[in-house]
Amino acid sequence: MSTTHGHAPIQESGQLSEFEVLELAVRELAIEKGLFSAEDHRRFSEWAESRGPHGGSKLVAKAWVDPAFKERLLTNGTEACKEVGLNWLEPTGQGTPSDYTFFYVLENTPKLHNVIVCTLCSCYPRPVLGMSPDWYRTPNYRRRMVRWPREVLAEFGLHLSPDVEVRVHDSNQKSRFMVMPMRPEGTEGWSEEQLAAIVTRDCMIGVALPRPDWTAQQVPSQATPSQAKGKGGRK
Amino acid sequence: MSEAKPYEVLLDALDAADERTDTALQCGERVPAPWESAMQATCECLSWRGSLDNLERRQAEDRLGETVYSRFPVHARSVVVVAHSLMDRSVIDQDELKSKMKEVRARLERE
Repeated sequence: MSTTHGHAPIQESGQLSEFEVLELAVRELAIEKGLFSAEDHRRFSEWAESRGPHGGSKLVAKAWVDPAFKERLLTNGTEACKEVGLNWLEPTGQGTPSDYTFFYVLENTPKLHNVIVCTLCSCYPRPVLGMSPDWYRTPNYRRRMVRWPREVLAEFGLHLSPDVEVRVHDSNQKSRFMVMPMRPEGTEGWSEEQLAAIVTRDCMIGVALPRPDWTAQQVPSQATPSQAKGKGGRK
Repeated sequence: MSEAKPYEVLLDALDAADERTDTALQCGERVPAPWESAMQATCECLSWRGSLDNLERRQAEDRLGETVYSRFPVHARSVVVVAHSLMDRSVIDQDELKSKMKEVRARLERE
């Protein structure tokens, strides 16, 4: 097959997966029998793909400025999410495949650093962080994070002092986790919106720490000299 | 509960290349395919509209995925178990699933 796009076609082998065929067959039969509509399916797909880490960023920023909210968030993450407009029961009123899960927010402290993983597959708190990054689903991350967390974190540029305990949380079909990083120095007097901008996806997974001079919207190659030095580690 | 039996039409869908080999970390060196996202949406729709509850399905995935469909990779459990459950409930039968798969395959392979 020729292409004018200058890159390889997405489906390189042309080999049709029987599971793909089975998925389409099941879906089409279900629609034909009126179990749900094609519109239902499209809406779910669109909804799932519209989730992003901004929800989690809002949660953390609000918790940083509102101690009472922080307490509620740490006590019952699922309920506290509703206060920033995040409902784990969306979009059906009964939830998603993340149904029946408990959402736990893990607070970092000067002596404790949390990080999340799913060793079995790729369980991830999608309602608050959106779709998981590609690397989160790789065996390189999943297998090694639980065994050598400091080594893996260092590969992300995060070097933790030996006196900081690293706690790895393994997600599963019943429990989803998100990390609440510590508020960095230099953000005194900031608004929730300003704070939310520096709480990036990776900070809430636990492979990075928020910095007052970095948001995920910046182009790394255009970072200021202090950012380029990579002072991201907790010393 | 009587012992579950696999459906032939589903066993036929297991290509040798897809067979589960790693029982500790079943996902292996792979990136999820687009059909897996579509399957998630199908699961949500079935639960939402009351045909197959999500929790019930997930429990069935654990139960059937470790027994009658233990040769299947974990990422295929949802589609296999949803199909199995719909056949168990007589919502669809093996013949029409087989026929629909043939129709879909022909459509996708059409030049």
